[in-house]
Amino acid sequence: MPVLLEMKNIHKVYPNGTAANQGIDLTVHEGEIHALVGENGAGKSTLMKVLFGLETPTAGTIRYEGREVRFNGSRDAIRHGLGMVHQHFMLVPSLTVSENIVLGEEPKRGPYKIFRDRSKELKEVERLIETYGLKVNPHAKVETIPVGQKQRVEILKVLYRGAKLIIMDEPTAVLTPQETDELFQSVRALVRQGHTIIFITHKLREVMEISDRITVLRAGRSIATLLTRDTNQEEISRLMVGREVLLRVNKSPAQPKEVVLTVRNLSAKDDKGSPMLKNVSFDIRAGEILGIAGVEGNGQTELVETLTGLRKAESGEIRYMGRDLTSLSVADIRRLRIGHIPEDRQTCGACLTSTIVENLVLDHYRSREFRRGPFMNRSKMKAFAREMMETFDIRAQSEETLAGSLSGGNLQKVVVARELSKNPKLLIASQPTRGVDIGAIEFIHREILKQRDNGSAVLVVSAELSEVMALSDRIAVLYNGEIVAVMDNTPELTEEEIGRYMLGVKKQGQEAAG
Amino acid sequence: MSTSRSFTLELGGILAAVAAALLCGSVVIMLTSSEPFVAIRAMFVDPLTSMFNIGTILNKAVPLILTGLALAVVFQTGVFSMGAEGQLYVGAFVGSLVGVYFPAVSPWIHLPLILLSAIVGAALFGAIPGLLKAYLNADEIVTTLMLNFVAILTTSYLVNNPFKAEGVGGFARMEYISKDVLLAKLIPGTNAHAGILISLAAVLAVYLLMYKTPIGYEMRLVGKNANFAKYGGIHTRKVIVISVMLSAALAGCAGIVETLGIQQTFKDHFSTGLGFDGIIIALLGRNHPAGVLVAALFYAYIQVGAQTMQFGSDMPREVAVIIQVLLVLFVTSQAIFAYIHQRLSRPKAVN
Repeated sequence: MPVLLEMKNIHKVYPNGTAANQGIDLTVHEGEIHALVGENGAGKSTLMKVLFGLETPTAGTIRYEGREVRFNGSRDAIRHGLGMVHQHFMLVPSLTVSENIVLGEEPKRGPYKIFRDRSKELKEVERLIETYGLKVNPHAKVETIPVGQKQRVEILKVLYRGAKLIIMDEPTAVLTPQETDELFQSVRALVRQGHTIIFITHKLREVMEISDRITVLRAGRSIATLLTRDTNQEEISRLMVGREVLLRVNKSPAQPKEVVLTVRNLSAKDDKGSPMLKNVSFDIRAGEILGIAGVEGNGQTELVETLTGLRKAESGEIRYMGRDLTSLSVADIRRLRIGHIPEDRQTCGACLTSTIVENLVLDHYRSREFRRGPFMNRSKMKAFAREMMETFDIRAQSEETLAGSLSGGNLQKVVVARELSKNPKLLIASQPTRGVDIGAIEFIHREILKQRDNGSAVLVVSAELSEVMALSDRIAVLYNGEIVAVMDNTPELTEEEIGRYMLGVKKQGQEAAG
Repeated sequence: MSTSRSFTLELGGILAAVAAALLCGSVVIMLTSSEPFVAIRAMFVDPLTSMFNIGTILNKAVPLILTGLALAVVFQTGVFSMGAEGQLYVGAFVGSLVGVYFPAVSPWIHLPLILLSAIVGAALFGAIPGLLKAYLNADEIVTTLMLNFVAILTTSYLVNNPFKAEGVGGFARMEYISKDVLLAKLIPGTNAHAGILISLAAVLAVYLLMYKTPIGYEMRLVGKNANFAKYGGIHTRKVIVISVMLSAALAGCAGIVETLGIQQTFKDHFSTGLGFDGIIIALLGRNHPAGVLVAALFYAYIQVGAQTMQFGSDMPREVAVIIQVLLVLFVTSQAIFAYIHQRLSRPKAVN
């Protein structure tokens, strides 16, 4: 196969001295699906920014279709047939599917092309949908369609702009197993139509399933390019991390004890004020992990916020060790040894413009231990922070480093350290490893299991089904704000089985919840 | 990036802004003056050459330090109050009432009582926009600007009618406050009054409060990331109200100190926009008490420079106003500096 894209010896050093790319080679053949894998911070996104001309490489060359190129920003790259499907959808929710697809490149008609040519637009969009089998209703408003279809709109957007080489950045992060299968079918169809795909992901199972070749990045260097059929998940993960990693969580059987948290008929509204969480009931016992599976936006956020006091319950009961939580404030709940790892560490779990110390003392800054008269005892706080950084392997220059400058994994460790340091009786962990590297995932999973084994009740909410399955002793599925199934996490349980509940295709009888 | 590194960058940006403003100001002088070097000298050097002028700089800095602190406190909490001007009037008015009408006692009791009543009065007035913001989510910029009118016009009415001193002509004022409680002259041969001591104490107090106490930590967290504060169980509404009231208290303190140090009683429309200057001071000082101190002194120096230039050369004081405006322009355009910094440090393309 002829070479379509060749990036050679790419270096990128940022003004602040961070060397994000330190000699990366990437060769993509025409018509292949090329997986680009690497931990967070390995240099994947910088490499793609360099490709699109959003960053100027410090050194290195890019050859595309046999010619040396340097694109002058995304517009230029798009004109040359590159397309990017972003992880976070870049769509206008209030516009229709076809309007989103043509946005900025609308077909025009009339004198001086001042009018939009809607019939041509529709014809063009329908032709694309037809050709690539990306089924989606062009008249539907984007805000009304499910996530899997939104992604199709993203793909159609780049196809409309004539992309030949399509880069997909973590495309499966928000999809259910079934939607992922459909995506893979579309990707294969694209390749059949003569497109080339760069598939960025950290899910190794998917890499093995979809790709032809794999380039592994680590710490800003390209470590290896492998033929998928000649390798396996263990080898890839070893190359990514640079050492042996445990892909499966080693976990002993749970030893559930007394009930710690009882939730009965809990209902709550979403931010817009419409009912979201509907009559949710479950128990968690000390020494067990209950996992909540479900496509994001099915009430997970509302559930966690209601449990932690951040959202008011409309009705229902939350009993924690015999106490009713529904009327307590966030501060009261935190004082009751309930740890909460929130789903979004950037906006909620940490203050990026504060130092690590200030992030770690959130529960302690008023405690007598950290006071000196009316003032806070800075030196004690610093000592505490250093101890936490040691225990939780938080890598930073010092405890006075700004949280915002930490990598995703290290920042999440700050959050985890803070929440676990209070020795919680109940730990609520929402998306505990989203966007963190494999090493940190391993570490965080181990810490969560340690909590369970020390007798805490743990609630894990995750959009990553594999994570829920790896950690949980029991799994509940949230669909449309209801718990549609609760099952024991036995080895026989498959992702597909849970996926059917997640999509609302299947529902357990009411009596099963509990 | 560590905190010290970002501090250096900030400081560099501010100094560059100040330098650029002074440079542009000098260019304006060069272009308009027939004896530009005399004018530049009169503006930049004369303020520092006599004790009298230095005393004037200190006096002008006193209220600016306090209003600068007032705004630094709310800005750090993420509340964009524009109400210092009105709060300053309330503080000055309430304090003056106590100063004029409270029966003569020992100044050791009287003076603290005046200060306290000014501070409490302004803080209570500041509670209005604070509560509106925290509990009804009313935009604080609108409420505080409107309440400025309420404060200035109400005090104006009161000083023109029930509290007007006898025999005063057009410009209304209260009866003079007893000399015993006016702020004493600090340095012989100058006008510098003891208000500077109050301002310096306030700088220290605000610094300790914001950076060393739990409530300061809470205020800064609410300003930096309110979601994080809420998640951590901080009562953000309470913190916002406290912050706005504290800010008002400082503004009220500025009003009464200016009254006791310079005006000698409450005078109608006495403030020359001191509360709004505080916004500039807080921005210049990057909301840090030490920064506010330096910025206020610098701002006062420019103001005195304007006067000395007017007396010592053919330049009108408007030129100094131009420099002040340029200063604001440069300092507030942080974005431009960030952009330039990014541009300059971007490595040259290697081909």
